[in-house]
Amino acid sequence: MTPRRLARLTALIALWVLSALAHAQQSLHLPAAEGAGTPRPLVIHAALDLPQARPLLAAFQRRHPEVAVTYHNLTTLDLHERFLAHPDAADVVISSAMPWQFALANAGHARPLGGHITDAWPAWARWRDELVAFTFEPIVMVVHQELTNIAEVPRNHAELLTLLEERREALTGRVATYDPVVSGVGRTYAMEESRLSPRYWDLVAALGAAEAKLVATTGEMLDGLEDGSLLIGYNLLGSYALPRVEAHPDLALVVPDDYALVTQRVAFVPRQAPHPETGTRFVAFLLSEAGQRVIAKQTSLGALHPGVTGPGSAAALRKRLEDALRPPGLGPGLLAGLDRLKRQALLARWRREFRRAQPSAPSTAE
Amino acid sequence: MRVAHSLYGRLLAWLALPLLSLGALLLLQAGWQAKATADRAHDRLLDAASLAIAEQVQWQDGRLWLDLPPAALEMLAGDAEERVFYSLVDQQGRHITGNAELPAHPGADAESGDTLLYRDLEWQGLALRQGVRRSRLEDWRNRERFEVRVAHTREGRDALRQALLRGNLAGILGMGALAVASLLLAVRAALKPLTRLRHAIRARDPRTLVPLELSLPRELAELREALNELLVRMRRVRANQERFIGDASHQLRTPLAGISARAELALRDTDPEAWRDALTTIQATSERTARLAMQLLSLTRLDNPEYQATHRPLDLNACVRRAVRDHWTSCRQAGVDLGAECAEGEVAVNGTEWQLEEALANLIDNARRYGARRITLATLRSPPRLVVEDDGPGIAPERRLLALRPFHRGRDDGEGSGLGLAIVDGIARTHRARLTLDAGAEGGGLRVELRFAEPSP
Repeated sequence: MTPRRLARLTALIALWVLSALAHAQQSLHLPAAEGAGTPRPLVIHAALDLPQARPLLAAFQRRHPEVAVTYHNLTTLDLHERFLAHPDAADVVISSAMPWQFALANAGHARPLGGHITDAWPAWARWRDELVAFTFEPIVMVVHQELTNIAEVPRNHAELLTLLEERREALTGRVATYDPVVSGVGRTYAMEESRLSPRYWDLVAALGAAEAKLVATTGEMLDGLEDGSLLIGYNLLGSYALPRVEAHPDLALVVPDDYALVTQRVAFVPRQAPHPETGTRFVAFLLSEAGQRVIAKQTSLGALHPGVTGPGSAAALRKRLEDALRPPGLGPGLLAGLDRLKRQALLARWRREFRRAQPSAPSTAE
Repeated sequence: MRVAHSLYGRLLAWLALPLLSLGALLLLQAGWQAKATADRAHDRLLDAASLAIAEQVQWQDGRLWLDLPPAALEMLAGDAEERVFYSLVDQQGRHITGNAELPAHPGADAESGDTLLYRDLEWQGLALRQGVRRSRLEDWRNRERFEVRVAHTREGRDALRQALLRGNLAGILGMGALAVASLLLAVRAALKPLTRLRHAIRARDPRTLVPLELSLPRELAELREALNELLVRMRRVRANQERFIGDASHQLRTPLAGISARAELALRDTDPEAWRDALTTIQATSERTARLAMQLLSLTRLDNPEYQATHRPLDLNACVRRAVRDHWTSCRQAGVDLGAECAEGEVAVNGTEWQLEEALANLIDNARRYGARRITLATLRSPPRLVVEDDGPGIAPERRLLALRPFHRGRDDGEGSGLGLAIVDGIARTHRARLTLDAGAEGGGLRVELRFAEPSP
């Protein structure tokens, strides 16, 4: 072997290691425990951040040490496209994009779970024994402490609307929300809210008037709130906001008390899963009381199991907010959110309403 | 096929066969009806959902526009959580929106404006029920036609169909079981008298011939009557046999007693000449007794219903000639004129030679015994007949039938055995010939005629 070829090989290996490292940020591989018998592989494709997923995977491996877990965290869009391209790659698919997950199951891509969903599981969080929602994450507002200098912290949508209308100047440019044009999650929320409340469009108009910043992720809003450039973040994913709000003394989390959207992680085992038995076992673990306890105690996701109560459970949240919580419900109504014309109509309306009360060029010159 | 050999099985098979085919038909019909009912119930969902979607179709910005109502899809899914598919298609058949490009329906438009078509569909490996609604915009500027195609899986229908079918099936099976059970009982009950009859017959003493006294249904009562008639006939036959045996033993005892007495007398004598006389008498008597025994034997043989004669074609003329040859000498010695008048050529019949010879011998012997001086044997053709005519005293017409019975004698002079005509009658019967007794041609004597059937070619 010549030195030149050796150098080239070393470079190649270095490149491979680097790319593997870069990939490792989004992926996790947990090998099977030594001496636990023949390893059983399990491939999970999920839109669920590693800090939330890790305790679940660890708890699962404690129960099934023979399972070697490969976990890929992807954005909901990547996840969906990757699944359509390779429907036989993953054993479990988890995503918070409920309409997409539903569309896949509706088209017959999901495998029946064989009765692992208990009868006590809420009917609106399951579909056909194929698709099941296993978390309960409210959509929240996050406010910065500085807002109390201007006005009272809004407790619901109506108060937010009033606040935006009355203190527009003070809040201009310091409010942020999802951009439904670029974010699928934002679009889903917009569609839900427009169904829930006729005054939603007034709120969009008020947000437009306050020149709200439109962002693509909850993280961006939290970044702005943490550094004080934003005072109000509207429609943040509660499960992601909660740990950072708790870590930051200036931030406060508000679950609106008139109505609160809820998002849920939805899991299914693909029909062409390479290891369907292990996949089904993992989903069964997610739905089990033990798995749900891990969700309640070690993550900010919100446990859905009716037997799990106390902090971090849907039951506790429901007790506090009574019937203000609006989980979307796993059903074919979700498909309407994916309808091409409906989406176009919604976005057109949203853009129109957002610009309706926006200060025009002359008025800003004032 | 054991069933075919049993009355019980046969009845059961013939009754159960239509019952089972009826049951199968009912099942088929129930299956078809259950599907129709389930489809009717669930097609309403397709109807309502497609209508809800069609109502939201508008004309906007120069194209079809749909604000899809989520409730329409929820409705389409129903309680069974069906997979749902919808698509909006414009006048040119272009897919405007929807979650699946559902195929078009080949059906034609209805007469009225709004067309709604249903069909079962296999689409991408899924069993679907499709509803296609053809409609047009309710806009005064634009009346463009469009099509709303909706489809859902058939699980709810199948479940409903199966539930309906299960209900029907339980009913039909219950009815069938009841029918078969009552059939079994009915057939068994109907055949019960047969068993009683069998038991009654089996329990009888084989020696009794008294009629069966048993109350039976009409069909079996006929059988009982037939059986009783047979018993009556058997009783008569047995009475005849008993009398025959009595007569026969009596007939044999008389000459034997004579022989015994003659021998006893001769033994007391010492004269060899007397012994010789006695021996001559004894010889004559024993010859006659032997002949009587022979006749009894042949009569018994002829009367045996199991006896199957093996007839062969033979010529009656040959029989007559042989009889004349055999008896001519003895008749001549006794001063009797024995003659024959044969028809020309051959008179062919199916028969047994020795029996016909026996009959002729008996008739000749009879005539001689009753004092005939002239005996004529004759044959006639078409139909073949055998005639023996004599000029003896004859038999009065009212006694002719009696004369055919064994041991009946025209006179009580102890000469004949009384078996001759009975034997001739028996032979006639085995030849299926008709025996007639008549007066002779000149008004006196006896004419015996045996009329045979024409031999089959």
